[in-house]
Amino acid sequence: MPEKHTSGRRMTESQAALVLLLPFLATYALFLVYPFFRGIWISLHDWNLMAVAFNPDAKEFVGLHNYERVMWGKDITWGALISPVQQVIGVLGFGLSIFLHRIGWVSKVTAVALGVAAILLFVLPGFHPAEGGRWYDRRFWPTVGNTLIFVGLTVPGVVVSALLLAAAVNRETRAMSAFRTLFFLSQIMSVTVVTLIWQIMFSPRQGLIANITETFGGSPIVWLTDEHLAMAAIVITTIWWSLGIAMILFLAGLQDISKDLYEAAALDNATGAKAFWHITLPNLKRTITLVIVLQVILQFQVFGQAHLMTRGGPNDSTQVLVRYIYQTAFRDSDLGRASAMAVFLFVIMGAFSVLQFVLGREED
Amino acid sequence: MKHLIIGAVVAATVFTGATAQEITLGRFFGACEDAGTDTKASSGEACIIQSIINAADAEIEGVSITTLPTDWGNYYDQIKASYAGGTPPDVHVMHRHRIPEFAGLGALADISDDLEAAGIDRSDWSENALAAVSYEDGIYGVPMDFHANLWHVNMDLMEAAGLVENGKPILPSSPEELLKHAQMVKAATGQNYLAADFAQFPLGVRLVLALIWQQGSNISDGVTASLNTDEAKAAVAAMTQLFDAGLADPQLNYADSQQAFLNGEAAILVNGTWVVDFYSAEAAKEEVGLDNYYVADFPTLFDTGATWADSHMWAIPASLQADEEKYQAALKVLAFINDHNIDWARTGHMAVRTSVLESDEYAALPHRSEYTGTAGIARDTPPSKRYGAIQDVLNRELQAIWLTGKKADVALADAEAEIQDLLDR
Repeated sequence: MPEKHTSGRRMTESQAALVLLLPFLATYALFLVYPFFRGIWISLHDWNLMAVAFNPDAKEFVGLHNYERVMWGKDITWGALISPVQQVIGVLGFGLSIFLHRIGWVSKVTAVALGVAAILLFVLPGFHPAEGGRWYDRRFWPTVGNTLIFVGLTVPGVVVSALLLAAAVNRETRAMSAFRTLFFLSQIMSVTVVTLIWQIMFSPRQGLIANITETFGGSPIVWLTDEHLAMAAIVITTIWWSLGIAMILFLAGLQDISKDLYEAAALDNATGAKAFWHITLPNLKRTITLVIVLQVILQFQVFGQAHLMTRGGPNDSTQVLVRYIYQTAFRDSDLGRASAMAVFLFVIMGAFSVLQFVLGREED
Repeated sequence: MKHLIIGAVVAATVFTGATAQEITLGRFFGACEDAGTDTKASSGEACIIQSIINAADAEIEGVSITTLPTDWGNYYDQIKASYAGGTPPDVHVMHRHRIPEFAGLGALADISDDLEAAGIDRSDWSENALAAVSYEDGIYGVPMDFHANLWHVNMDLMEAAGLVENGKPILPSSPEELLKHAQMVKAATGQNYLAADFAQFPLGVRLVLALIWQQGSNISDGVTASLNTDEAKAAVAAMTQLFDAGLADPQLNYADSQQAFLNGEAAILVNGTWVVDFYSAEAAKEEVGLDNYYVADFPTLFDTGATWADSHMWAIPASLQADEEKYQAALKVLAFINDHNIDWARTGHMAVRTSVLESDEYAALPHRSEYTGTAGIARDTPPSKRYGAIQDVLNRELQAIWLTGKKADVALADAEAEIQDLLDR
């Protein structure tokens, strides 16, 4: 507790706070704020990684050209039913957000967030090149799509499995604390080790999964070179890897729920799944929101799994945004274009951070 | 007395500290823990190169070498980042195909005037080897090898299919014959005819490229991309006919295709020169399925012979020339590697020095006489500063054909458009 009434010192409270914060602020400014603005600055230039290193004048200011080359194309038009599935879901989602708000199931903020997402889903997939037109970078939007699919599969996977695990190991026995440690262990491994383990697991010649399918008479599945299964393989690996931290957060949330509630519920004959549904879940709402938003921000930055397990393949089906940024910057030495993509990624993740901020402040 | 000893130790430390040049070295080829310093005893790319480096560290006076940890897949990204950060390794290996990119930016030291003083005789290099390290008017490295795609053959499977004559494998001379041979092997042994890494690294792509070159075509002329052609379609079709008939498996990656060949599950493995000594050693083992190993030049299925080839070479960053002593030390390391060209050739790679190529020791290397034609048919795609990106496009689109069923003409048209974008950038 700060002692408000100590007197006779020269520094006021806010001055002292500033002094104590200074080391952090300096580090933060040097290693986060400066590189961030520097990144935006680079994205406005035609900037070759090596050429500029040898000759600082080798860059050229091009304004928003990099953004145009990455995100836009020649003769791009918009139509209401170009990607019918996404766009119809968008319209339905918009209607649903109004409806849910009207009947009082969701708050205003949640309804607005849902509505905005639905509108984006309706508008964005409608852009397409007209006859004779083309995207300048034909890989960028499919890469964004792959990243969204990855996040869309991984985050629910992590949240649901971590929640179930947390509920299962939330007991004060020695065995359960051993399990807690065990489930958390995968989290501390580096991405290289994790992907190595899972590459062996998925290998059609020596893998555990192949051995199991063969025992049951099936032919081994070639996970990592199958267009439809490669992403699933990466998602499974990531869920296994990211479970730990989500589970710990859920455990903390679970231990905050008063035992009295469960005892009262038990008197009303609500135990097991019923108690989980009516007591645990409502009380964990905030933790769940926090875990979802943290996971979304984390998983948008997926790189190692796709880079090491599938190299983005087959046919780009596991190419994700950060890997594309990496290739553009280091393989192609095109730092300007890579920075433009990185700024785009920042905007997406920034939107989710704002969402978390808003939802976190929302009163129940 | 005590003071004298301490004084001597201090003096010795100062003395050696002043003369020993610390040279950092960057390379791929993988890690070898206990390579030792005997350059004649090691086997496999990683251990042979590390034994040469260890020997250089031990034998060159006043030079100590630190091998930096690098990784195959991201090697050039790492090297570029180190150049951009101003801390490149003092000596590093690279491929011939990267010279336009690195030398074009002024990253590499032009060593043409310093070779002689360093004891490197460039007149001993073959004409192609000199061309491999030359860019515009300068020499930007010391060549170490030529490497190329070969056909590695399991003679027992070929024999069973009746495809051996006079102790040599009978290889196809047309796409139709390729299919026929594949069917013969399947009928006689139940095994696949051909295996290669069609799913991971660009080994399968290099195979298709060879078939394009064999028809006198190429992926571009350096300015205009040309992949949506009859020649490219014919080259792709020559391979996909095997996949469609179940005579080759496109889903195997590098390790799996190699394992299939060593297990005796494929009559032919298309892979580089770098595994000849490794496969020879494996074939000699009792427990390995492959017993009777033979190496063949890439056969001509169309008009003229061609196989993908490249060159490994050692370069010095231009920035090192500012530090004369260090630069001289780096040159000594290059000279040492050049002197051990015969040891490196033991991997299966082709040597670059005429004196080595003509030596008895070289001719006596295992299987060496079986692929003498390869040097004459070596090819590569046109030089480009975007070579790496172009290779990735080819890899992605060609793999899409056999791994995801993408229509060949669509994939080739997409690849052509994207390579054109890269050439225009």
